[in-house]
Amino acid sequence: MKRRKASQRRKVTYGLLVLAVVMLLASAVGSTRAALTYYSENYTAEITVSQIGVSLLENGETVSSRDYNKNKWNETGNNGSASAVLLKNMLKKDEKLALNKKYDEKLSVKNSGTIDEYTRVRIYKYWVNPDGSKVTALSPDLIDLHLVNQENWVKNPKSTKECTELFYKGILKAGAQSKPFADTIRIDKKVASEVKTEKNGNVITTTYKYDGVQFKVDVEVDAVQTHNAQDAIRSAWGVDASALGIL
Amino acid sequence: MKRIGKYSKVIAMSAAALAMMAALSIQSSMAYFTTYVSAGGGGEVSLRIQTVVHEDVSEMTKHITIENVEDNDCFVRVRAFYSGLVSIEYKNVGGGDGWYDGGDGYWYYRPVLRAHSTSSQLDVKIIVPEEFDKDTFNVVVVQECTPVIYDDAGNPGAEWDTVYSDYQRGGKN
Repeated sequence: MKRRKASQRRKVTYGLLVLAVVMLLASAVGSTRAALTYYSENYTAEITVSQIGVSLLENGETVSSRDYNKNKWNETGNNGSASAVLLKNMLKKDEKLALNKKYDEKLSVKNSGTIDEYTRVRIYKYWVNPDGSKVTALSPDLIDLHLVNQENWVKNPKSTKECTELFYKGILKAGAQSKPFADTIRIDKKVASEVKTEKNGNVITTTYKYDGVQFKVDVEVDAVQTHNAQDAIRSAWGVDASALGIL
Repeated sequence: MKRIGKYSKVIAMSAAALAMMAALSIQSSMAYFTTYVSAGGGGEVSLRIQTVVHEDVSEMTKHITIENVEDNDCFVRVRAFYSGLVSIEYKNVGGGDGWYDGGDGYWYYRPVLRAHSTSSQLDVKIIVPEEFDKDTFNVVVVQECTPVIYDDAGNPGAEWDTVYSDYQRGGKN
């Protein structure tokens, strides 16, 4: 009896092992098939279609793009390399920044890929000293990047003064350009609210506390596929797309 | 214990096979097409203003011009202080859109005083009584400046009523 029971247990164990091996082989066969179809003529054409890409535009000019093409990423920036510079042409030669003056800063996103996508924009605003250290006493609100088309660009309610997160409502079709999410930039006059005046003979010097500080604006654009969008967006951006109303 | 030891290889192989299958399924669920771009930039806020008051006196008249010696544009205004027995008369020498009476004791230079430029001339004629000792009176010219602030329509202007607060020297943080 004991020997028969032991034999039965062994049969069950070996049975399970064989089943596991068969399942493993089956999954391996699946991936092999996928690999084969990848190189077949028909499917090469399909992969060519599935090229995601996104570009950031400033006043109608592309400042940065990253597109997948022929099995590699094509990255371009307006600075002669993959890095990109904003506000390059904000001031004319020898022009000084004027307080409260509105400068053109039309920022939009283009789907430079060949598949539809959902897009997100993150805007960071901050102040730095001439030595590069951050000025925390000056509010990022004094850097007024004027946001527009809010019916197209949904603001994440969890945005902060330093970081504004915008989601493009709906799908940005392949090759299409979004409406701008910003149109002007203005430095608030409050940056000049603390001042010291010194008189030396007939020379009067007016020095401002924040003279020489630099304002900084960084923009990040992310794009994600439209297939299985809810999960893809949650995975890539960590937000509930339905709750935000962007699908 | 003996029984577990007997089947340990089988259990280990089964567990490895299941783990591989699980890994395969995770990989497929994470494969979303994504891409991104970024760009950044900024600008310097240059605010320092330095002005020089030029005063020449001839025939009981002060000829005043203001020179902006810094890189930043500004607006300027001037006021003359004097004792009760003396009176003064201002004159916008250049005419046109130069100096004008603000009605508050100050004379304002209407145009933006551009960086490294000099205003047109403002004359302050000093009138003293006949019997007055012309060597003892004192007329002091005070000049003030303010940065150029743009309004919503994009026009440059001066905000003379803005109260600026003094600050202590030190870090900007």
